[in-house]
Amino acid sequence: MDLSINGQTRAVDDAQVDPRMPLLWVLRDVLQMTGTKYGCGVAACGACTVHVDGAATRSCVTPLSSLQRKAIRTIEGLAGATGPHPLQQAWIEHQVPQCGYCQSGMLMAAAALLEANREPSDADIDAAMTNLCRCGTYPRIRAAIKAAARQMAPRRPPAAPRP
Amino acid sequence: MKRRSLLLSGLGVGGALLVGWGLMPPRSRLGSAGLWLPAEGEVALNGWIKVARDGAIVLAMNRSEMGQGVHTALAMLAAEELDVPLPRVRLQQAGHDAIFGSAESFVGFLPFHADAREPGQETGAFRAARWVTLKLARELGISITGGSASVADAWEPLRLAAATARARLLGVASLRWRLPVAELEVRDGIVSHASGPRAHYGELVEQATLSPPGDVILKPRSATRVIGRPAQRIDVPDKCNGRALYGLDVRLPDLLYASIVHAPMIGGSPGAVDVSAALQSPGVERVVRLPPLAGADAALAVVARTTWHAREGARALRVQWRAPPGGPLDSKRIEASLEGAARKAAEERGGFTFHSRGDSAAAMTDAARKVEALYRAPYLAHATMEPMNCTARIHADRRVEVWVPTQVPGLARDAAARVAGVKPDAVTVHVTYLGGGFGRRLEVDFVAQAVRVAQETGGRPVQLAWSREEDFMHDFYRPAGAALLRAGFDARGRLQAFEAHSAGDALEPRWMERVLPALTGPIDPPDKTTVEGLYDLPYAIEHQRIAHVATTSGVPIGNWRSVGHSHNAFFSESFIDELAFAALKDPLKFRLELLADKPRHAAVLQLAAQKAGWSQALPKGRARGVALHESFGTICAQVIEVSAADKQLRVLRVVTALDCGTVVHPQGVAQQVESSVVMGLSAALYGRIDIEGGVVKQQNFPQAPLLTLAQTPAIETHTVPSAMPPTGMGEPALPPVAPALANALFALTGQRLRELPLQLSLT
Repeated sequence: MDLSINGQTRAVDDAQVDPRMPLLWVLRDVLQMTGTKYGCGVAACGACTVHVDGAATRSCVTPLSSLQRKAIRTIEGLAGATGPHPLQQAWIEHQVPQCGYCQSGMLMAAAALLEANREPSDADIDAAMTNLCRCGTYPRIRAAIKAAARQMAPRRPPAAPRP
Repeated sequence: MKRRSLLLSGLGVGGALLVGWGLMPPRSRLGSAGLWLPAEGEVALNGWIKVARDGAIVLAMNRSEMGQGVHTALAMLAAEELDVPLPRVRLQQAGHDAIFGSAESFVGFLPFHADAREPGQETGAFRAARWVTLKLARELGISITGGSASVADAWEPLRLAAATARARLLGVASLRWRLPVAELEVRDGIVSHASGPRAHYGELVEQATLSPPGDVILKPRSATRVIGRPAQRIDVPDKCNGRALYGLDVRLPDLLYASIVHAPMIGGSPGAVDVSAALQSPGVERVVRLPPLAGADAALAVVARTTWHAREGARALRVQWRAPPGGPLDSKRIEASLEGAARKAAEERGGFTFHSRGDSAAAMTDAARKVEALYRAPYLAHATMEPMNCTARIHADRRVEVWVPTQVPGLARDAAARVAGVKPDAVTVHVTYLGGGFGRRLEVDFVAQAVRVAQETGGRPVQLAWSREEDFMHDFYRPAGAALLRAGFDARGRLQAFEAHSAGDALEPRWMERVLPALTGPIDPPDKTTVEGLYDLPYAIEHQRIAHVATTSGVPIGNWRSVGHSHNAFFSESFIDELAFAALKDPLKFRLELLADKPRHAAVLQLAAQKAGWSQALPKGRARGVALHESFGTICAQVIEVSAADKQLRVLRVVTALDCGTVVHPQGVAQQVESSVVMGLSAALYGRIDIEGGVVKQQNFPQAPLLTLAQTPAIETHTVPSAMPPTGMGEPALPPVAPALANALFALTGQRLRELPLQLSLT
């Protein structure tokens, strides 16, 4: 079957996979896109978070069969054509990662949050960022999300020209 | 005398044998340029430093990056002495030469009281034992990323290696331009003279191997430009775009994937196995039976086309599991027996005495007032975010290659060699980024397993990956422990006596058996980790007895971030709080009174208290707790603020103060505090492993919760200025978390919680 990943069509050989196979393993072991991580296999830790049609989705429990005609976006596609995503810049600015293993999932969860909500409150961040980090990068993640949100906030429309 | 006994008991010293060995001086720890494999466009100046033709510096990286920022901190040391900007330093994995071995980690094993180790006032016995240990450790050349020792270990040899390289380069410029070295200047890797000549290192390096370095002097603190200044971590950009390579991300042509299945019961093994369904499962290539290896139980590995196919195959295995020979383990029973052993030791004044001063028995008998309490800690899992894994390949000529996230590359090499039946130098170890370590990756069980599986794949590389469930159920856990603590006050209310009798498994002998079997002997030497954080309190208490009963529970146990300190600090600093309450004194004031002759400890404690606003009253429904603890050479104090509104416990703020000697990477220090606080809170609030009927109950994150972002408090870090060499930072901020929290909960509710995890009843 064909998958749409990061704006590209990727053919997956049906003989190599199984409709029940979670997207995580298709990405990592079939397509060799290893930026998306395995952490728990039960949708608890969020290390495997990707976007499916824009929504943060835990790919370790998302079967291949559910992804027909869906747009998948992974950490490899988070940066745009013009450069890193504002969240990636903020992550560097705030020196967020430690071991870094959970950060792909964290970034994808944060990106989905900012797509839906350009001015997230602390409570919004609390509710959206349920991924687990063992190194304790949470305070920096919160700060970096806020910084990226400021960066991404739509500029005020220019004042209407006077008649 | 076995080497291990020497290493670990230290006091054995074994004089005659070692006289005249001489501590390898820092200069001989520079290593020769011949340690590097030749590389096009690069010239090696010593074992640590190469210079590329474009002027970039290549640093031999002998420590593993597991989140603690060590790659950046060590690169900063090189950048400092070479006068290059940090981004001009590239890293290349160091080889296995003894110059890259750990020394300070082994000194950390020595069972010396903190008084004997106090910098500048070390006792003669400690200095002698330290000397012997450093010598031995350097002979062994075992490279360990652990014991919070990486920066302390690199501090002298790495800076000296960089400074020596710089001196050689300046020597070339001096000869070429016929100008005195003293008049040359280096900025950003460019050597220049006021009269005009300029050259970057790459233009000088060709002749530098022939140029003697002359007298090499390390920079004084006043001249530093990198150390102690803000720096961007080297590893961060790739950790934000998915490119950072962890063990599980290794992809090789023809790679196979293997899933491991151990017996559900710890210590169990596979009996009869029906593999027919598994072999018919799509994508499955074979099933390999694994013997017990490097501490891992016997197991089965299913080899397949992808990790998922391997797991599906594993689910199709029909196995008759055998229970362990000693019967199934039960953590409740073990914990009850530890409590019994601690009580019995206290009653009979038994156990191995790690510290004793004055006459605590008499002081306790004469005490006008006694306080006694029993403290307990459970088994604990590491739960690194990246589960255990290793990729292995055995070439046709029997050479072995492994790609592995490990804290012990040399021990991983030895383990691979033992399994493959080759010499260690036939094994190449590629160290990837570690998705967390915390001591779990001081083990080599998964390395041995991967190599064993690779023996069955006809030369194809194979990636052995543990599932999260296997990771939780077959960890080497922090040992459970119990301690009966007693104290006696005299008639005037002064604290006169402190006694601790604790029980729990000795862990370092077990670790040595797994990773260094050649160095283990028939008898366990006393394991200092069992009492660290109990026997070495900074407080002036005249009569003390701290003894431990080393048990053998059969539960696989290992090093968990901060090791013995992680639970012993909870015992000791909670108990000190109890004593303050018993003495009707403010817990901060009570501690400070006992620290009259410990100015560094007092300064750290006062800094934390001042920054946390200890003297200012809090609104109703809020309270603070404090704890002070020294570990890995660093003194750490924390003040934790909590609230319990609407029956909901909240940790609001954690203020940490530290004396960690010279701060190399300030942001790295802050990150390690944040990391330790979050991990410490997870452990204090939730961390436990229960074993019932031989099986670990917490098998994945839903049963083993971690602190979440929403629950994370404000975390502040403050350091005491210091000109001393750097001390540990990866662990010391973790031990005080649990007692500071427990003490805050006591202040808030009056409930004294003496068992981890803390279970407050909010009614």
